[in-house]
Amino acid sequence: MNACIKWLDNPEIFRVNQLDAHSDHSYYLNYADMEKPENPLFQSLNGQWDFAFSKNAASRPGNFYEEGFDASDFDKIMVPGHIELAGYDQIRYINTMYPWEGKEYHRGAYSLDSTGAEEGMFSEASYNPVGSYLKHFDLKPTMLGKRIRICFEGVEEAMYLWINGQFVGYAEDSFTPSEFDLTPYIREKNNILAVQVHKMSTAAFLEDQDFFRFFGIFRNVTLKAVPDVHMEDVWFKPVLNPDNEHGSVAVSMRVSARKQVTVHAQFVLRDREGNVVAENSVPLQGLNGNLTGEIYTDVGVIKSWDNHHPYLYQATIALKNAENGELLELVPYDIGFRRVEIMDKVIYLNGKRLVITGVNRHEWSPKTGRCIGMEEMHSDIACILKNNINSVRTCHYPDQIPWYFLCDEAGIYVMAECNLESHGSFQKLGAIEPSCNVPGSIPQWKEAVMDRARTSFETFKNHTSILFWSLGNESYAGDDIEAMNVYFKDKKDGRLVHYESSYYNRAYEDTISDIESRMYANPKDVAEYLSDKPKKPYILCEFMHDMGNSMGGLGDYMKLIDEFDLYQGGFIWDFIDQAILVKDPVTGKDVLRYGGDFEDRPADYEFSANGILFADRREKPAMQEVRYYYGLYR
Amino acid sequence: MAYTDNEKLRVVYGDFTLGVHGEGFSYIFSYAQGGLESIVKDGYEWLFRCPKPTFWRALTDNDRGSKFHIKSGHWLAADMFIDCQDITVIMDGAVQNCKAPDNNSYGGDVSANEITVKYLYKTISVPSTTVIVSYTVNPSGKIKVDVHYDGKKDLPELPVFGMRFILPTVAEKYIYKGLSGETYPDRKAGAQQGVFEVTDLSLTPYIVPQECGMRMDTEWLEVTRRTSQDRSKTDGSQHTLRIEMADAKFDFSCLPYTASEIENALHHEELPPARRTVLCIYGAVRGVGGIDSWGSDVEEAYHISAEKDIDYSFYIC
Repeated sequence: MNACIKWLDNPEIFRVNQLDAHSDHSYYLNYADMEKPENPLFQSLNGQWDFAFSKNAASRPGNFYEEGFDASDFDKIMVPGHIELAGYDQIRYINTMYPWEGKEYHRGAYSLDSTGAEEGMFSEASYNPVGSYLKHFDLKPTMLGKRIRICFEGVEEAMYLWINGQFVGYAEDSFTPSEFDLTPYIREKNNILAVQVHKMSTAAFLEDQDFFRFFGIFRNVTLKAVPDVHMEDVWFKPVLNPDNEHGSVAVSMRVSARKQVTVHAQFVLRDREGNVVAENSVPLQGLNGNLTGEIYTDVGVIKSWDNHHPYLYQATIALKNAENGELLELVPYDIGFRRVEIMDKVIYLNGKRLVITGVNRHEWSPKTGRCIGMEEMHSDIACILKNNINSVRTCHYPDQIPWYFLCDEAGIYVMAECNLESHGSFQKLGAIEPSCNVPGSIPQWKEAVMDRARTSFETFKNHTSILFWSLGNESYAGDDIEAMNVYFKDKKDGRLVHYESSYYNRAYEDTISDIESRMYANPKDVAEYLSDKPKKPYILCEFMHDMGNSMGGLGDYMKLIDEFDLYQGGFIWDFIDQAILVKDPVTGKDVLRYGGDFEDRPADYEFSANGILFADRREKPAMQEVRYYYGLYR
Repeated sequence: MAYTDNEKLRVVYGDFTLGVHGEGFSYIFSYAQGGLESIVKDGYEWLFRCPKPTFWRALTDNDRGSKFHIKSGHWLAADMFIDCQDITVIMDGAVQNCKAPDNNSYGGDVSANEITVKYLYKTISVPSTTVIVSYTVNPSGKIKVDVHYDGKKDLPELPVFGMRFILPTVAEKYIYKGLSGETYPDRKAGAQQGVFEVTDLSLTPYIVPQECGMRMDTEWLEVTRRTSQDRSKTDGSQHTLRIEMADAKFDFSCLPYTASEIENALHHEELPPARRTVLCIYGAVRGVGGIDSWGSDVEEAYHISAEKDIDYSFYIC
């Protein structure tokens, strides 16, 4: 197969040759490897790459992926990182506007009677920058002889991949892992990986988040060697019984085997002290190397997981050769027991009414933008715990995978949001105007958003911390987003589905969200809704807009928690100011800059800075108010 | 002639000013400048210019969103320009005729138990209103400041009302007894009561410089400086000015810039170098709000009506 530049224009093409999304488990060849600081099966490709910037697809180096291509005039760039912050292309912040506002007239393909396929919108645009990346590498010796895959954890906004001159695949959805199989093309030494990243594609209509608009490889790139027998996907389903004291675990497994072998899966569950509290072993069934298995085990008396006591058990699955007992692969995962349910229109966690003292969090660093590391994540967890915040909404895209593990450990409730925000297609100058909304009910856009739902679910399904799936943010409501809801509900994983925009289109009120969710409703409006035959539990997925010196009147929202059982709290907007640290040429000082400061026009200026933290992660003065009230209710 | 009575104030009925002196303090009340021109304690000056009523605090992002500045913006002009229209001097309960040549009759040996100087200010707001600031000094040197704002129908809501003191140089620190952190009428439930020291007087780094640094419900405040513009004073010794509550606790901010200076900057690096201390003692403060930043107003309970009188008092010790 060859790459086709027209895929950029086609909402129906968003993944080509990508491996299916799967659980975010680690895997090891043996117990000794689990103790090593680096897994011998993984090889990071982070670091310096060769790079060329082009203003549009027409001027890109079209044959740069070919072996023997002379890249001597390429620059160097650090991966991961945003191309704009490396000095290419204008830095830009906008809120609801689409990036082409005032420059090109665009409507999403098929969104109006007068719009058709809109071929060429991105592939032939005079402005749609391209980053051409090259990386030379040798395989680590510990990875030789195994199947080799590559995982891009985040690439904005559309990417084509080649290795050793061969086309591998194409991916959109900037904020979930994109994985490809390199096995047919990989060599021991002198591999040449080529990645072509486009700033905009049809994904731009779905990724109109209120943030700095970047592109490039901005999260880790990792080569993964896959053992001959490999857990492709595992779904741990811990159950906390209604007595809140006893529990059980079911595990669904999907295993690939490169050779003919009879495989047993041995499941062991240990408590924090290392005592085995449950174990079970099953033979896997299947043909042609596609094996599946189900394990069920009663655990007996267990400790439940919640914000105050985030007790996790250590689950381990050992895949073994049934004939000789040889260990083939080890999969560890920490799981917790908790139960979310709605009873009489009130959300309960482990039998207690849930109260959300939450915050919306973008991934942000003033130096590196949305490319953050463990240091920022640990700092954010510590800040959240210190200030009695018990919940985080991953606005408005999935975060890096480690964040969910940290939330499991810290007992932070997560509303896991899909990468979807199309407010530029229906919020115009403050009015709701959905005439050209995407995805809406347009059939050609449905699979793109379904893919985002599927990838979110499959990747993150094992995280105890996730209590809510969120379909996205501010994308209006139609059949396509309704289908996302159906997808999540069909999983019957006990979590609730959240979506706010049914407020704008009540036709979907009963089919798109388990929760009545609003943003920025004032306390009086909340009370009015809850006093007049409310249909569902109510949360504010965004409230207390902490732009600048704000956070006045938080107490009036917190009182509603006492007044109405159905009011279950909300998520402050938001966690950290988005601003960029630059050297001021006049004073020589390091200063923070925001939208419009890069001559980016039209702009939304300082609207990017609404955090309870300043961009440098210092707490704003309002934090003592948050800490106090959230401490009363958490 | 030696002045010997330490129990009384020594009063100098000048042609341009009224001087009020005692052990360790000297105050100059100016007719020419329309205000209290000098507070000298132990030989150290505390005023850069006469304190004046203040009607403006820099806008917050929420203020911009709710168009508070469009509704109440002319208080910014009233804050910058104000006219002193009348000055009254009262000595031991009796109103004095102290303008020249009447002051010739006092001579050089005047002492008093209490001096009150009242300044009447007329605002340039439309309609105009008045503020009366009364300074009452007793022989201990303590000054009671009584501030009266005359409510007037049809005036738009105020962002703040208070008195602004500009000190000649940047303060080293301040200590106060009140609420922890930065507080506003609608954002103070989470504050702790206590005595707090603030050594970093710089503006709170909101990406667009805006109103900041408010401290509500204060019992007392001590501002400490070491520097002076008087080139003969080079010892760098520490000096402290103390403000105390009178009938009710006061609100204050102590920053290196005036509201209009802050208003003028879109980034912190656009602010001039810090060289003064701007100490505002407030009798009324509007909330900051938080519902949203694109239209929702601060909740009703935290508005300040300009149609009603505002009275408050404090001591300068």
